This record gives sequence, C-alpha cells and structure tokens, in this order.
Amino acid sequence: MRVLIRHESILLLVVIIALFTLSIQAEQFATIENLLNQGRFLTEVSLVALIMTFVIVTGGIDLSVGSILGLSAIILGVAWKKMGLPLPVAIGVALSVGTLAGLFNGIIITRFRVPPLIATLATLALYRGLAEGISQARSIRGYPDWFFILGQGELLGVPTQLWIVAFFTIFTGFILGYTTWGRATYAIGANEIAARFSGIAVNKTKLFIYSASGFAAALAGVIFVSRVSTTRSDMGMGLELDAITAVVLGGTSIFGGKGTIIGTVFGLLLIQTLKNGLSLAGVKSDGTYVAIGFVLILTLLISNLFNRSSEG
Amino acid sequence: MNNLLRKGNRGKFFSKFLANYGQEIVLLSSMIILFIVVSQVNPRFLGGNNLNTIFSGNAYIGVAAIGMSILIITGNIDVSVGALIGVLATICGTLAVSGYPIWIAWFAPVVVGMIVNSIVGFIVAYAGIPSIVVTLGMMSILRGGLISVTGGDWITDMPEEFFLAQQNFLGIRVPLLTLIFLTTIMFYLMSNTTWGRSLYAIGGNSEAARTSGIDLKRGVVLAFAIHGMFVGFATILFATQLNIIASTVPPNLELTVITASVIGGVSIMGGTGTVIGSTLATILFAAIGSSLIFIGVSAYWLRAIMGILILSTVLADMARRRRASL
Amino acid sequence: MILLIHKMEGNMKHYLTVLTSMLISSSMAFGGDWTGGDDLPTNPLPCSGPAPAGEAKAYDGGSPTNAPNRKGKNITVVDVPKLVGIGYFAATTQGIMEAAAEMGTMDAKTDGPSEANIDDQITLIDNYITQGVDGILFAANDPGAIAPVLKKALSKGINVVGYDANSDPDARQWFVNQAEFNGIAKGLVDNMAGEVGSGGVAIVTSTFTTPNQARWISEMEAYSKKCHPQLEWLETVEAQEDNILSFNQANTLINKYGSDLKGIYGMTSVATPASADAVTQANQCGNIAVVGLATPNAMRPYVKSGCVKSVVLWSPVDLGYAAAHVLRAVADGSLKPGATSVKAGRLGELSVINGSEVLLGAAFTFSMDNINDFDF
Repeated sequence: MRVLIRHESILLLVVIIALFTLSIQAEQFATIENLLNQGRFLTEVSLVALIMTFVIVTGGIDLSVGSILGLSAIILGVAWKKMGLPLPVAIGVALSVGTLAGLFNGIIITRFRVPPLIATLATLALYRGLAEGISQARSIRGYPDWFFILGQGELLGVPTQLWIVAFFTIFTGFILGYTTWGRATYAIGANEIAARFSGIAVNKTKLFIYSASGFAAALAGVIFVSRVSTTRSDMGMGLELDAITAVVLGGTSIFGGKGTIIGTVFGLLLIQTLKNGLSLAGVKSDGTYVAIGFVLILTLLISNLFNRSSEG
Repeated sequence: MNNLLRKGNRGKFFSKFLANYGQEIVLLSSMIILFIVVSQVNPRFLGGNNLNTIFSGNAYIGVAAIGMSILIITGNIDVSVGALIGVLATICGTLAVSGYPIWIAWFAPVVVGMIVNSIVGFIVAYAGIPSIVVTLGMMSILRGGLISVTGGDWITDMPEEFFLAQQNFLGIRVPLLTLIFLTTIMFYLMSNTTWGRSLYAIGGNSEAARTSGIDLKRGVVLAFAIHGMFVGFATILFATQLNIIASTVPPNLELTVITASVIGGVSIMGGTGTVIGSTLATILFAAIGSSLIFIGVSAYWLRAIMGILILSTVLADMARRRRASL
Repeated sequence: MILLIHKMEGNMKHYLTVLTSMLISSSMAFGGDWTGGDDLPTNPLPCSGPAPAGEAKAYDGGSPTNAPNRKGKNITVVDVPKLVGIGYFAATTQGIMEAAAEMGTMDAKTDGPSEANIDDQITLIDNYITQGVDGILFAANDPGAIAPVLKKALSKGINVVGYDANSDPDARQWFVNQAEFNGIAKGLVDNMAGEVGSGGVAIVTSTFTTPNQARWISEMEAYSKKCHPQLEWLETVEAQEDNILSFNQANTLINKYGSDLKGIYGMTSVATPASADAVTQANQCGNIAVVGLATPNAMRPYVKSGCVKSVVLWSPVDLGYAAAHVLRAVADGSLKPGATSVKAGRLGELSVINGSEVLLGAAFTFSMDNINDFDF
C-alpha cells in the first residue's frame, strides 16, 4: 500500500508543477472559468476511465468503450427520432443497450474464457459496425433544448456534467477503496485462482464490472450527444486509448491487482491540464501530443525509480 | 489427458498437432471455405488479380504482425506500431527523393525501427514500465512529432527503382514473397532455436525463465529490437506500394496489426502461438473484407459483419481449446 | 438479471446466427439509393447551359456580440482545419499565410487535430476562445457538432469565418464556399461521361459520415440520373483517409466488376490518387477512367502518364487566401450582412450567394496541359 501512495504523491506533485508552470505561461489558464470549462471536455473520458480502473485492476482491459459510446449515441438518436420514443425513454434505451454491450463483453470473457483484450478487440469492430449499420451513416439532429442542459448547461454555476463526474468519482472511489466488492476486484487481479478458492464470485464480479464499463460508455455517449447536439456513428473513436492512458498514468498496474481511483483522477487531470494549458501557452496540438507522450513515460519512470530505491 | 495416452502413436501425433496448430487450422479452413463460397457467387474472386490484391496489398500488415506476435509471445505489446510505420515511411520516402542511393532509403526504416524499439524495450525491461504504457507514450510522441516535422506534405517523384512492392520475382509479387519468406524464417527460428524457445519462456513464465538462466531483460530488449526490424520491413512494403507517400499516420493501423496477431492464435497472456497464425489471420481478414464487397453486402453493414466474423473466429478457437483441454 | 445472463450464455451461438442472418438480410433490403449519400434535397444543375441564378436569400449567418472595433488593427487569427497532415489542408494554410503576409495586419496560425475527429477539433477551438483570439477560421468536421463552440466564440465577440466545410449558418458569420455542391457534382459526372460514354461506375470515398462527401455523392446521383442515365452506378466503398486501403478497395472494385467497370470516382484527395495508382498497376489505363477530387501535386504522375485525363478541384491555396481576406473584411466591418460581393486581394471581387456564403468560383479542371502550373 505504501508503494501505491508513493506513485500518487509523485503524480500529484507533477500535476501541481504542471498547473503552476502553465499558469505562469498562460494567464488565461488558472481562471475559475477556464478550469470549470475544462470539466466539460473531461467528462466523457473520465466516466469511462473511472470504470476502466476497475477493469484493469482485475487484470482485464476494455477496448470496446469507444465503440459502445458510438453505438449508444446512435441508439439514442434512432430510438428518439426514427422510432418516435420520448427522449427520456430513448436515453434509457441507449443506456440499456450500452450496458448490455458491456455484459456481452463480460459473457465472452467469463463464459468463453476469451482473454479480455481479444474479446474487446472483436467487439470494438462489432459495436462500431452496428452503429454504422443502424445509422446508415446518417447523423441525427434537432434534439429539444432541455436535452442540452446535460452537456451545455450549468447547475449552480458548474457545468451540469461535472456533477455527474463528481458523483461517479466519489461513488467508484468508495466502492473500490472501502467495500467488499472493491476488495474482490483487487483479489481477482492479484490472483484469480486464489480469489476463486477463497470464495469470491469471480465471474459474477467480472460480469458486473464489464457491464458497468458499458454503462459508463453509454452515459458518456448520451452526454457527448448533448454537448455537441448531434449524433454520428463515428463518435468516441479512439476513446479507449485516452482512457487507458489516464488509468495507467494514474498508477494502475496493467497486470492487475494494483490501482486507485484517486490515481486515475490525477492521471485525467494531468492530461487535460497539459492539453489545455499548453494550447493556451501557444503550443500547437502536435507539440502537445509529444509532450503528453514524454510526461506519460517520464512520470512512470520517476515513480518506478523512487519505488525501487525505497525497496532496495 | 488419459484419453491421449490411450491413443496410438499416430493418434497422439495427430492430436498433438491439432493442439499445437489448432488456430492455424481453424484459420486455414475458414479461408478455404470462404474462397469456395465466394467464388460460387462471383468466380472473379479467385482471379489472379484479386488474389494479388488480397495477398500482396495487405502483406505489410502481415509482416508487422509477425513482429507484434514476437512481442506478444514475450508478454508485451506495441500500440505505437501504426505511428512508427508512418514515421518510417516518411524517412524512407524523403531519403529516396533526396538523392540517396535506393538501398539506403530501404535500409533506413529497418535501422531506425530497430533503434526506436530498442529504446522502448530498454525502458520496458530495465525500468520495469509495462510496454502498453511506454508504447502509448511513444505513439503520442511519434504522431505529434511527424506532423510538426512534415506539416502534411506528401512525397512524390521517387525514382523508378524505389517501388519494391510493385515488382514481381519468379512471377510472384514481392510483398507476398516477403511475407512468406519472413513467416517461414521466423517460424523456424522460433520453434527450433534456443532463442526462439526463450521467447516462449519469457512470456509463459518469467520466474521459470529466470531460474533456467535466461537473461530476461536482454531477451525483452532483443524481442523489441526484432519487432522494430519487422516494422521496418513492413514500412518498405508500405512505402513502395504507391507512387505517393502520405506522410501521416495510417488510421487505426495498430488495431489492425494487433487484431491479426492475437486472433492468429498468439495468446495475449504470452507464451503460446506461432507467426503462421498471425500471417493467416492477416490474409483471412483481408479476404473477408474483399469477399464482403464481392458478395455485395451493403457497405453500411460491412463493418458489423466483419466484427461478427472476427468474434466467431475467436469463439471457435476457444471452443476448440476447451475441447482440447478436456 | 442473473437468470437472463444464463439464458443468454446458453443461446449465444443461436444469437450469433440469428444476428448474422438478420444483418445480411437487412443489408440486402437496402438497395436503390446510392450508398454514401445523405437525405438532404438535391438541386441538380441543367445538363447544359449556364446555371440558373440562385434566389436571393437574406443574410442567415450569425453575428458576434460586442465585438470590439478591429478596423485596420492587428488581429490574431487561428485556423482550425478538419485535420492537419494532409496535402489539401497544407495548401489552405499556405493560402492563409500568403494573405496574412500580404495584408501585414493579420497574425495567423494553423492548428488542427491529427485525425478528422469532431471532439479534438471542438476542444482546440475552445482553447483558442479562452486564449482570446480576434478571429477563427474553420473547416468543420461536422456542421452540427461544431455549432455550439462556434456560437460560444461569437458570444465572446470573436469573428468566425468558415471555409471548405460549413457549419450551421447561424454558428458563424460567413462561409467561403469553394464551389457549390451541384457544380462539383456536374463537373465530376460530366467529365466521367465524357471519358467513358456509358457503362458502370463506382465510387471510392473516405467515410459515409463525412458531410461534404455525402453531399457530393447525393448531388452526383441526382445529376447523373437527370443528364447521364447511361452511366450505371455500381457501388460506393469506404476507405477512410488511408492511402493503401483506398488502393486495395479500388483494386477490389476492378477485380469484382472486370470489364463492366468503366470508371472510378475518387471523392477525396487521398482516394483519387490511390485509385489512379490501382488502375495503373492493374494495367487498365484507358479502360477504366479515374475522375475525382484531388490536388495537382498528388495527381501529377498519373496525369503525366496519361492514365488520368482530368482532375476536378478548386485551388485550396486560393480558398485559404480568400477565407483570410473575408475574415479581415468582416473584422474591419467592410463586409456586412446584405453585401453582394467582397474584395479578396488578388482574386478580385467574390460574389455572395445563399445569404451568407462567399463563392470562390467554379470548380477547376486540371489536365495534362495545365497541371504543371500549379504547386500544391
């Protein structure tokens, strides 16, 4: 546990250094308005990354989240416009389809014992294909104004979707850190066979986690549609890698068994800080890509060196 | 297990063969069925030109997938492969139009690929950072760096001799020949040399590999370097196929390569699989893509059906494995 | 719930089969319309003779709130294309820089996503709004998705001008239209009909969700049906913005249709040269025509070898150049709603169409005779 805290402290230090340097470099950066505004852009990847933390802690991975986002967005649009369902019902349908897509991943992984990477690589193609097929490549627009409150509106001066992210963060942080489910998640990742023998319902836990991952992606999809006011089948492409980057930067071990929600939150914050702050400081997006790459590698390098020296 | 012992020698050999090369057999038979079915709908599917398109047009993916398979067998992965191919192709084309001898233009991607991946391998092995993290970072660096250097200018007017992938040798397209050649060599090296077996040992059980005296860290760096070499070979085929080189990162290429490797039977947990599987998978997916156009499936549903077919291959493999392990 | 899971597991194989057959049968059911088009109404031009004058339309663009007086002042401008890293947008940047250098009062820079991704583009624009630029030039990846962030820019008093790919009209002030959709469609289809006479033609496009391409395909369908019914549409294939994939897809079309295929339309500056390469390597030059949108630099080898007779495109350099001038004029207050034309440096007077669009001109056809005069 000491080791874990160390990574997060180093990461926090990096976040603080980045915030400090960037607010000197760009005066518009450290304003409340800008920081809150960044929350809008952080929402979709955050929702997905928080649950992805659970997935990776069990030693799994979910590459299909970007495709589930696209599929749910399309289902939302089709259910509302083509099938004429009331929008709240259509949202419910979209969230259910996303959850079922996640459950389907879980079934392939637990029941058919397909390694998560392979299973979700396959469904990545499948779900994106379904989104494209169902939509016939048409975008769906014209949502009622109240729907945009979710992605473009504010609640008590804070972007609406930030409340959802805040709730999600506290909720997932609590579950992973303080409940039996959280301990089961760690146990599965540390040693699945041992976990099975110690009476943990391994398969049920995994099914639940992958379904949650699908749900999070679907929720992110609904918020995304509300933010950009249109629905396209190519939404969320590449989201999986952004989410995984944040999670591993946050110190979650890709081999499972280790990781915290707070680490993922720091990882998300650091990446968004760099994207926004560097841009405000006049760096172009290609330069920002390079910087994020270096920060990712160097942060883990430093953290590993510290841990090693404290071990040795 | 008991069943196995009871069978005769010949049966034992056969079931062992099935167990070892099951996924390859699944892929090969799917491919044969596919070719038969589609050629019934449209006999042109089996025309020489179309086979060339399927085999040679996608050979670069297969070559990159060989390198990826080596990595995956050692328990690592490289998500930066698409970005690296983009960067190497730009280097390759730039050298060719700047008046350097052709062989230097061809050689450069191989060398640079090996250097870049050796650095990645070094960080993975000696700093203990998981390869997915290092290569995610590398992908970001290469992608951003490429755009800031080239600004998106395309490369044209390469000299005539540059276009290796458009040549024929012994009546066969060079890309296909390269793919067959490299697959055979790597298959031999991996199953018959100490180095090859050490790869499986690293991936299968690191602890056992350590106690058996394999230098784990050097082994990982070497695997990355060889993967880099294959990325270089793939780049040569990629860059010399058309008369223009778009100095950008090919979209989603890393996913295509990884999919070919893992579905080709290289277990993602490391420690099993062969490069024949990854090569067959590359060709199978290319053939599926082509055949869906031939059959006349609505273009909107094409990707969904592709997804179902990939999923079926995976499930078929799992069903086979389960039966084999009973 | 758990019961449901068990049921699903047991029937997985069954589900897969049902799903597959459902997909295949439904995919057969969609026929008739050209794949890859959109559902918006089309407006094909007459088969010959001049285009009818469009109806005058009131200004339907937006306007910035409380924009400061920028007349003659130095302004900072950011250009956010669909993506960076392709020749086409490198050329528009070149035009913008040329105009900025010429005016001396515009500080312009180009910054775009590395893939044609709606979200990355929105995030970038938002960052520049925070940074406080005076003007934004954009080429939208999606007309609707980009609208909220552009409206935000307008609300902060920033001048917003689009080029190449439009947004919803009220989300920007002006849009510099390279050539009207029906004009491009007529250019492409007429060229194709002129080269092949009659027979089967197919399309290689980027993705079906790319708005400009979908619009062109729909207009081409309408115009082709009206004026060249002897051209038989075979199919449209997707090839992303990927060279080799475009090459392979074009090859597959050639192999599938054999001598029934008379021509290939390339809908992007990536697909057209790759299709030309496929035709060249299949030794089908002269048998299969390639007509499409592309930049002259990428097409020069194929035009020189005689394999491609004509390439349709406006000059992206001029497009960027005009966009920068329009932005300057808007910032100066010299281009106001209701104007009928605008001065754009060396391009002279450009006319206003459709309420709030500035028309660059008609599409241009590059051929063997003039392709060497262009470098972009």
